[in-house]
Amino acid sequence: MRHDLILEGHAFRLRPITDEDAVRIVDLRSNPTLNRYLHASAGLVEDQLAWLARYYDRPGDYYFAVEHTADHRFEGLVAIYDIDTCTKSGEWGRWILRQGSLAAVESAWLIYRVGFDLLGLEYVLCRTVAENVRVVSFHDSCGITERRLLPKHFTLDGHIHDAIEHRLGRQAWAVIEPNLKKLARLVAGKSTHD
Amino acid sequence: MSDQLTNMDRNQIEQTVLTVLGTVLKLPFSVGMDLRRRDCPAWDSLKHIEIMFTLEEELGMEFNEAELAALDSVVSIVEAALAKHEA
Repeated sequence: MRHDLILEGHAFRLRPITDEDAVRIVDLRSNPTLNRYLHASAGLVEDQLAWLARYYDRPGDYYFAVEHTADHRFEGLVAIYDIDTCTKSGEWGRWILRQGSLAAVESAWLIYRVGFDLLGLEYVLCRTVAENVRVVSFHDSCGITERRLLPKHFTLDGHIHDAIEHRLGRQAWAVIEPNLKKLARLVAGKSTHD
Repeated sequence: MSDQLTNMDRNQIEQTVLTVLGTVLKLPFSVGMDLRRRDCPAWDSLKHIEIMFTLEEELGMEFNEAELAALDSVVSIVEAALAKHEA
């Protein structure tokens, strides 16, 4: 949906996706090194623009560009969607960062802040293809202990995959947030701007 | 250069790297192992940051932004640390 949420971190910010990002989205999501565990997406800019037009009309879906605060360098994408106002829950995903980006920890910290602080959610889910063990490990490393297997949850390129669902409630967020914030600040201290 | 680093040789640097990796990743390592990030699922983006900043403290040196992103194996970390040591 069209939104105006901008969240600044120590070195990176989340800002709303716009049509001007279509080329960057296609480039990033077409990278075979990065897109192995993503749903197939538009390979042409025109198709991506059509996808964005549908996204702008979809309520409860907040899609962000991750960019460097100092020079607006594009780092990647992240979203929080399927917002349920009754259960005050949502899911985050569409997470993809350029190769070599140091924005992983901070973009995760920021998207959780969008969920808990800006949208007032009580819990946030993240579902990862089970074979994507490095990202599953990332969520574990965040300190999220509530997780379960969702058998045959994803269909990617015609193949069925299990998912690992990590569930983070507001109380648990208060416990893990300081470490994410600390690590994001440490990385920001290294940040240079070309 | 810190005194801490001045007094270190390659073996000590390698041992420190392996100890930090073992502690953060909760995996056993022995000298001579060349673990690579791509071969170790537990060495995720968050653990990588923890590893690199713990190494900075233990080795008394600083890695720049490019090194933080690029150092992705025991050998590359040891070589980078050694190069700083010898600089």
